[in-house]
Amino acid sequence: MPRLLSLYLAFPITTMQASNTFKQAFLKRMLLGLQLAGVSSKCMTIQERKSAIKLSADVAMACARGSTNWSRAIVTDLSKQEKNKVLLRSILGKDFERLIKPCHHTWKIPRSKKILKRSFRECSRRRKGLRAPHGLATSVLARVLVKKRTQVLKRLIPGGEYLDGSYLLDETLDYAISLRAQVDLMQRLSKAFEASKLGSHNVCTLQARGDSYADK
Amino acid sequence: MSSRRNRISDEEINELISKLQSLLPESRRRNIGRASASKLLKETCSYIKSLHREVDDLSDRLSDLIATMDSNSPQAEIIRSLLRS
Repeated sequence: MPRLLSLYLAFPITTMQASNTFKQAFLKRMLLGLQLAGVSSKCMTIQERKSAIKLSADVAMACARGSTNWSRAIVTDLSKQEKNKVLLRSILGKDFERLIKPCHHTWKIPRSKKILKRSFRECSRRRKGLRAPHGLATSVLARVLVKKRTQVLKRLIPGGEYLDGSYLLDETLDYAISLRAQVDLMQRLSKAFEASKLGSHNVCTLQARGDSYADK
Repeated sequence: MSSRRNRISDEEINELISKLQSLLPESRRRNIGRASASKLLKETCSYIKSLHREVDDLSDRLSDLIATMDSNSPQAEIIRSLLRS
């Protein structure tokens, strides 16, 4: 299972968290993105600044993670707009070409329905403890729900519409971990910015509070 | 080495399911109880949507902070110089 193996290597399973390498790479690229987008310019509108920040954050996340289906989908989707393409190239450098490469959409696997069907049967069997024939109506409903929710999930994961079955779940895990790290790092960034506005004596208080959050 | 596997073993499914479960924060895990595929998918979707919203809110927050980074403190000057290209 090469895909799951790379997941083990990239993210320690015990903590289901992004690595420090990821976090450092993210911060570096995010800062670069903010610089290149010119967010401190007084000429930017509120919306322009927000879009630039969000773009920087997403590009930073994609680049820090490396080549996955979702990270490439993010870069590809962003570069569909000409105005973003120039900015993306300057943020990513040679990584731009690597991330924009079309990925193999041969992940569509006919067994996908079997996996989810089987996994549901496993779960319901564990719960009910018997192969109840009257469970047929429930399992039909559940199958419909699983199908419906899988569709929703495919729309939420970048590039998810091309994936199925265990590959979709793999991507979901990977993406969610990176997303969580993105949120965490952006929170720290905004705390740092807040603290610097207040001045030196307040930085110590905010830092102390920040440390106690980190212990949780 | 890459022979095409036509079957995914039950262990692999259970592993993925338990990983998805452990991904969700404690508060959301309670909603599921014993793993049910459809409930798990629902919570995962809901969780990812909430993460998207957080990123959006944080982008707003950062935009506001950067726009008003006018203070005279030395820290603010550091931030301003970091953001200049």
